[in-house]
Amino acid sequence: MKWTPLGPRAVLIEFAEPDPDATRARGRAIQRLLESRGGGDIEDFSIAFDKVLLEFRNGIDHARQSAGWMKKFAALDPLAPAEAALYEIPVRYDGPDLAELAARCGLGVAEFVELHAAPIYDVALLGFSPGFPYLEGLDPRLHAPRRANPRPRVEAGAVAIGGSHTGIYSVESPGGWQWIGRTDVRLFDPSRREPSDEAMFLLRAGDRVKFVPAD
Amino acid sequence: MDALEILSTGAGMSVQDFGRHGWKRYGVPPSGAMDPHAAAWANRLAGNRDDAPVLELLLQGAGLLVLAARRFAVAGAEAGACIEAWHARTLQPGDRLVFPRNQKGLWTYVAAEGGFDVERVMGSASTYPRGGIGRALRAGDRLAVAGEANFAKVGEGWVAWGERRNYEDPPLLRIWKGPQWEWFDEMERTGFFSADWEVSNHSDRAGYRLEGARMNPPEGEMRSEPVLVGSIQVPPNGLPIVTMRDGPTVGGYPKIGIVDEGSLSWLAQCRPGVRFRMALIE
Repeated sequence: MKWTPLGPRAVLIEFAEPDPDATRARGRAIQRLLESRGGGDIEDFSIAFDKVLLEFRNGIDHARQSAGWMKKFAALDPLAPAEAALYEIPVRYDGPDLAELAARCGLGVAEFVELHAAPIYDVALLGFSPGFPYLEGLDPRLHAPRRANPRPRVEAGAVAIGGSHTGIYSVESPGGWQWIGRTDVRLFDPSRREPSDEAMFLLRAGDRVKFVPAD
Repeated sequence: MDALEILSTGAGMSVQDFGRHGWKRYGVPPSGAMDPHAAAWANRLAGNRDDAPVLELLLQGAGLLVLAARRFAVAGAEAGACIEAWHARTLQPGDRLVFPRNQKGLWTYVAAEGGFDVERVMGSASTYPRGGIGRALRAGDRLAVAGEANFAKVGEGWVAWGERRNYEDPPLLRIWKGPQWEWFDEMERTGFFSADWEVSNHSDRAGYRLEGARMNPPEGEMRSEPVLVGSIQVPPNGLPIVTMRDGPTVGGYPKIGIVDEGSLSWLAQCRPGVRFRMALIE
């Protein structure tokens, strides 16, 4: 592991391991540790792929804090059983980029849809918008670059592909991913506040997602 | 008790406090006042805690009707209201607080004694429109305040000259090394710190685009990583973008630097056309 100071009160710690599955498991374990610990001197934290950003309330001694946290992260047992819910998400595969993208991949639309709906995806992280999942496990035949001209408006529920990830737009926003389908499932709903504000988010990092083609 | 009615939201109006923290891992940015220095002074003048909810106005065009006798304060960008920026005064029902002409800076803060009583979502009253989080304001809406007016307090007040800011003349912005600092060669670094910069028109609460020099973005793809507010990212077109308070929580562009928090409130108030320079904190 290595660390980089980010200004006076934050540090970015990289925890990549040779095996990507081990990196993912380590990331989950770090998230569980930080969540169970509560706030304290840490104002916020976020994890993306192989890095965790720790933001403290006040200025820190970066070397001392980093050494302490890296030791705690290294001691975690990434094999500890974790709660991972599986969500089935019905999708109508009728997005505006579907036909062109399938053709570019050298696939028929039906074949493209079958390949997209086959895997059980892993929620790598939530980012970009509140509750927007970066899903890992996309068939390499479906990897696709972002659109050269991002759309000014992509609707909430749009299922899309960006690079090696697939994802679901959680709120209406501009967007550059290739839009292939739609779901009525709400990934982020600010009116769901019981038992706590966490209920606004359908998914959490580490959860699993399966797309189910719907008419 | 309702204290204000919104007559017009002008170029932009939202409720802000010092933001929501602890939600980045769900993809929720901190939000909060773009210029916390001015927001805090508006609150102090109104007799509130520094982090009480305030109205944040962009440029000009906002209009407010006073519904209850109360001490109100204005700080930040001067926009020609009956309460000058950096001042507080007690207003009476029927008085109007209108902001017809922005003169300097971008963001004006209005505080009401007691603080605006707005529902907190994820611990903050700040509006984050893109996420549908917090209260969106429209003409005709009424804003309540918490607590009673305390007429025993002196009705007028102002901020000492030394704490008022001239947003046309920002100081040298202080920059920390960014996580990809090593990716930028000596020439790029020198160019970055010797250029005169300004904020582009294509800027908002999520990000400020900078114009002044075109950087050569370093070679190599990087994986998205968590992003800190104030990060200076260099996308493939070479024009830096500073992540502001409503900006995305992850990003995949190399970051040459991070604007220090004290300097970020200055940058937030830089209108297009206002030149500034940046210096590395060693």
